Formats: sequence, C-alpha cells, structure tokens
Amino acid sequence: MYFQKKRCIAMLLAGGQGSRLKVLTEKTAKPAVPFGGKYRIIDFPLSNCVNSGIDTVGILTQYQPLELNEYIGNGQPWGLNKTHSCAQVLPPYERHDKKSGWYKGTANAIYQNIDFIDRFDPEYVVILSGDHIYKMDYAAMVEFHERNEASVTIAVRNVPLAEASRFGILNTNPDNTIYEFEEKPAKPKSTNASMGIYVFNWKVLKEALIADEEDPKSSNDFGKNIIPNLLNAGHKMMAYNFDGYWKDVGTIDSLWEANMELLGKNPEFDIRGDERTKISARNDAHPSSYIDGDAKIINAFVAEGCEVYGTVRHSIISVGCKIGEGAQIEDSVVMPGVVIEPGAIVRHAILGENSKVCRNAVVGGAFGPEDKKLISVTSKGAVVEENSVLAPGDML
Amino acid sequence: MNVMGIIFANDASIGDLTDKRTMASLPFGGRYRLVDFHLSNMAAAGIRHVGIISRHSYQSLMNHIGSGEEWGLTLEEGGLEFLTPFAMSTSASYRGKLENLYFAMDFLEYGPEDEYVVMTDSAIISNLDLNAVIDSHVASGKDITVVTKAGIANGSKQLDLALKLDDSGEICDMAVDYVAPEGYLASMDTFVLSKKLLMHKVKEFCARNLFHMDRDLVLGSWQKGELSVNVVQFDGVAMYNESIEEYFRNSLALIDKDVRHDIFHGNHNVYTKVRDRVPSYYGEECDIEDCIVADGCFLEGEAENCVLFRQVTLEEGAEVENCVIMNDCVIGAGSELEYVILDKNVTVRPGSKLHGTPFAPIIIKRGETV
Repeated sequence: MYFQKKRCIAMLLAGGQGSRLKVLTEKTAKPAVPFGGKYRIIDFPLSNCVNSGIDTVGILTQYQPLELNEYIGNGQPWGLNKTHSCAQVLPPYERHDKKSGWYKGTANAIYQNIDFIDRFDPEYVVILSGDHIYKMDYAAMVEFHERNEASVTIAVRNVPLAEASRFGILNTNPDNTIYEFEEKPAKPKSTNASMGIYVFNWKVLKEALIADEEDPKSSNDFGKNIIPNLLNAGHKMMAYNFDGYWKDVGTIDSLWEANMELLGKNPEFDIRGDERTKISARNDAHPSSYIDGDAKIINAFVAEGCEVYGTVRHSIISVGCKIGEGAQIEDSVVMPGVVIEPGAIVRHAILGENSKVCRNAVVGGAFGPEDKKLISVTSKGAVVEENSVLAPGDML
Repeated sequence: MNVMGIIFANDASIGDLTDKRTMASLPFGGRYRLVDFHLSNMAAAGIRHVGIISRHSYQSLMNHIGSGEEWGLTLEEGGLEFLTPFAMSTSASYRGKLENLYFAMDFLEYGPEDEYVVMTDSAIISNLDLNAVIDSHVASGKDITVVTKAGIANGSKQLDLALKLDDSGEICDMAVDYVAPEGYLASMDTFVLSKKLLMHKVKEFCARNLFHMDRDLVLGSWQKGELSVNVVQFDGVAMYNESIEEYFRNSLALIDKDVRHDIFHGNHNVYTKVRDRVPSYYGEECDIEDCIVADGCFLEGEAENCVLFRQVTLEEGAEVENCVIMNDCVIGAGSELEYVILDKNVTVRPGSKLHGTPFAPIIIKRGETV
C-alpha cells in the first residue's frame, strides 16, 4: 500500500475514561459524550483538524471504545475517508516483544503507534486530546512552530491565578520561548496554562518517546515526562497563545456550563459560525422536528428528529427527543433520544442518552443566580419513574 | 431476488418550483427532496442497482445525490447511475418513458443478474415496502404489476392512469389521463415487471413509434390482451405532488402526526443527503406553533402551521402562517407571510406583506428578494 508523505498529521488521545463525568461515562468514552444537541466532544478536535487542512488523524482509543469506534467509522462525516486522508482508530494491541498492551500513559499511547506515524513520514505531529470544546486553527499554530524553528510548541491560554495550580503551567521569556514547565504547581509563577495541544517535530518526538519508554520510572506522560525531558535537553520550546473560547468539559458542572454557553443571541461560544470553522458530526436519518401548537420554546437549541409538545426554556434538546404535553424543561441538557413524558419537570439537569423521565416526575431544582447549581444527571437509558423525584445534584 | 430500480426524475413539472430543477429534486418536508423517498424505498428493499433517468435541469439532482452513499448506493460499485440525455440523430428530445428506456438499454443490460425491474416516477411519494410489491408480482404470475392508491380519484383530479376493479378483484376498466370518479384506483406510477419482458417491450414499442408507458405499454397491451396486469393497493400515505396546490397541501399535511409518522417511518427511515447544520435556535421572543423545523434555523419571530427548511432566519416580529419556507431564506423583521412558498435563498425585506390563498399560494422564486 502506498502512503502519501504528509507535512503534518494529528494524533488524538481519546482513550481516557473521564471518570469525573461519572454516570455519563460509565458506558461511553468521554470523547463520545454528546454535546450541543447533535455533536460529540470529539467532533471539535476532529473538525478543527479538517478545517486546519490536516487530513490524517490517528485516534487512540482504550476505554469503552465501542461507541466511539462506531461513531468515527470510516471518518466520512468529516471528509476523512478519501484516498489520501484517514481517521484511523488505534486501539492498544499485543506485540511479540511484549512492549505493548494497554496504553500506560499518553506518551506510551503514541509510542505504541510510531509505525502508524512513520508511514506518513511527517515533519510535524500535532497531539490533541478529546476533552475540550473549542475552535482552533492548528495550521496557524504549525506555521508559528515552523517560523520559530522550534522542536516543540505548546498552546497556552491565560487562566485566573486561583485556578493555575490545576494546570500544567509554562513559564516563558518575552519572546514566548519556554524556560520552565511545572505540572500543577502549588505556587504558580505565571498564568500560562498548557491546553494539552502540542506540535512536535516528529524526529524529536520519536527519539524522546523511545528514550522515555526505556526509563522504567517514567509515567510515560506528555506533561510529566516528555515535555520536561525535552526542555532539560535544551530543545527550543515555544508557547503559542490562544485566546478564543476553550472549555474543559471533564466534569458534570463544566459540561453543563459549556452547553449553556452556546445559548443566547450572542453566545459565549457560537457554534453557528461560518463554513470554514464548521463543526461536523455524524448524522442519523432523522426527519425535521415537529413543534406543536401548545409548545413553547424560549432561548433554546432543538435539533432534528424531535417532537415538542411542552415548554423548553434555556436548554439544549438533542436529536430524536420527545417532550410531552405540559412537560417543563429549564436550564437543562437533554441528550439524544430522551423521552420526557407529559407533566414532567426537569430543571438544572443533564439527561443521558435515551433516558426517560416518566409522567409527572421531577428532576433537579431551581437555584438563585448566586447559588451553586447542583446538576442532576441521568445515565444512558435510565428511567425516572412516574411521579418520582430525582433531587438536585443526584444521579441515576 | 435481484431487482433493478429505475427512477424517472422529470416526467412531471409543477411550474415555478420545477423551472430550474427536476421534479425529483423538489425540496420537501424540511430537509428532503422527492427523490429521497424513492431512493429510500429502493434501498430498504435491498435494491442495489438504481438508474435515474433525467431529461433536463438535472444539475441540482446530481448535486443532491452525489455518489449515493447516503442511501447505501455508491457509484463505485456501479450501484447508482445517472442516465442523462445525449444528442440523438433520431429525435430532438425524448417523447416518453419508453423512449427514455430505449436509450438506457445499456444500463438495463448492465446487471445481467437482475431479474425484475421496479420503475417509479418522482412526483408521488410514499414509504412503500417494495419487497411486498415484488412478492405480490411474483405470486400473481402476471406480466406487470401496478401500485395503486384508493381515495385519490375524486371526480376532479386528472389521473395519469386510473383503474377500476370488479367485485372479484379483476380489472374491469382502465383509462389514461382520466378525471376518474370516486371508486377508481389511481396509479402511483410505480411498476414491477421482469427485465427481460421490459427490454423486449421497449424495443418492440419504440420500433412501432409508441413511447408512452401508461397509454401504450400498460393500457394498450392490457386492452389487446397482450399483457396481464396485477394490481397492488397501497394502504399507507401516498402524496401526489402533481400541482403546486397539491405540493403545498402535502407539505403542510406533515404537521399531522399520523401522516408524518407514516411517510417518514411507515416501513423504514427516509435517508437524504447530509448537510451538516447546527441545531435550530429558538430566541427569547419566538413563538413557533404547529411547525416542521429543520436544522440550522435562527428563529426570533412567529410561525404557525409552516414547514421551515434548513437555515431559515425568522427575524423579530415576523409573522409567518401556512407557509413553506425553503433553505436559507431570510424573513425580515415585522414582515407578514400567509399562504406563501419561498423557494431557496429568498430574502423578504423587513415589513413586507405577502398574502396568498390555500389554493393559490404565492411563490417567490429561488434567490429573489421581495
């Protein structure tokens, strides 16, 4: 088989469990968690790749891969199924020398797929994760990397000082070269947080991965090992500033918030946007939605294949949902295929795929603007029985 | 059983809406085109070899269908073929479906393993189980099967092909281009016959300068006792889109739950070309009642009893009632629309007022600004 040489390919780390999303990732890998009515989290980095002209993407899967694999399929929704483009799912595998098995860490996952990358003989490899909601032109970052003749470029954004100790912090010189990297520092010296988006010269990365694999004490992690090692070895490392919308959706609260930030006439994150930054998703065969005469929909997204008879305020209703007469949905994220029966009330909730809220059941509660909002969550396929209550912050 | 499908893309037309497109590519139901229903019927029946015969204005159709992958029919496998016209020494343009088929003979010969042919026109849509029709055809032992619908004949609509059955279920009358009274069955322009017989008959009829499928092949042969005809009565929803008024009525009929479920899910799902759009956004002040809404709309005004296609913008204070609004239309603030069909990409300036009637909806052509 002939593989076209590529200037740049992307490797997307999609194997994490996302345990902080609790019941939502019990049966689904985090990158496959639904978002924004018709998308899944992985649509954002995948579409960013395509919009940046990167047509070869390796997707490293490990945790609960079935749904994610099905979703990616042949990459057709993103246009990654052409002769010289691909969205290749790369699960862990067994090898004769036993240097294989489960991916031990983010760096090990890439290490185990050196052969895949070498087929394309790329100059640059972009490392991405499937945990964030954002639109970014990776081509501009690669351009920046090339212009600065760096070995590694790391995308950074300014975070509030109070939050900085949750991130990998990059301390930079005025010319944006990085002189120090601190993983989750107790006393951060700067507020330049790593976004987990890296551009590497493939030659440099490959050597570093091989060296790292030989170190038995290494956790085989980009943040903990590869980046500090390369920095100590004197490689030129650049920080690439990104100030657009970017949201880690690794927790129930942040996933809910990110969905809410899509709403409004001038939303914090506008998924409508133009063709060049369009987010693509795999589409099922749903007819257009039906909105009944008694329905009321205010400041909400409703995707296709829905039937709405009740009231929806400030919420995201995903594809294929049914909202019965007199039901009230407020400040909630309703994932695909959910059925909300007549008379049910849902507030401040995330309803997992194909879950069901039966007649007159109540999910979640109301909160004042200053209160901490306790989000109620139903897992995939869960049923909130008739007349029952799922209290604020509870999970089913 | 190996079955080949043939779809006639523009045997009918309904004026302004089919000026620059085939009947097959007429948008319908928010995100579909009429051909989607036919392709989905064929794909659901396991037909993997489909020819689309078009005479003119087929650009939008080819753009819509592409390689056919959305329906599981791909050009690479020879699954889907566009049979577009080519210059002929014998005639300036096709004179009927039989002549279309005559010039598509290579296609008919192409799938030697195909035993039967299902032929359908574009204007009449349904969610039809073609396997049941083919089974009925084979079981009947007759030469040709015509799919029909009761209740369409009403004494005022002209039917392409009307049939009447006697008490024993045998055909006792058949007529072409006939304003049939109630009690007649209307052909759904869907036929099944053996490929061998079709090829034979097409050659024979064209040699005799006869080109009309309904009049010459079906009615003529039946009258002369040359062909036996099996009748299948379809009991689901069949939408005849043979005039603007019918198209308009059928579009708004989707608001009825039973009609909608029958046409979209009756036997199988309906597939269409994927156009990736964001979900529709409903603003703070919008009031949407009894509407079919596709993806990508931005709704701030009021709509009642409407079909809103993809990416429609309804500005604040706009009031739209009993309308079919196609893709990418922008309806300006404070405008009023009633009984209007906006073709794709129409801009209605703020404050405009357009009022049609149920029988004569106002049609604004593609891309215009009013």
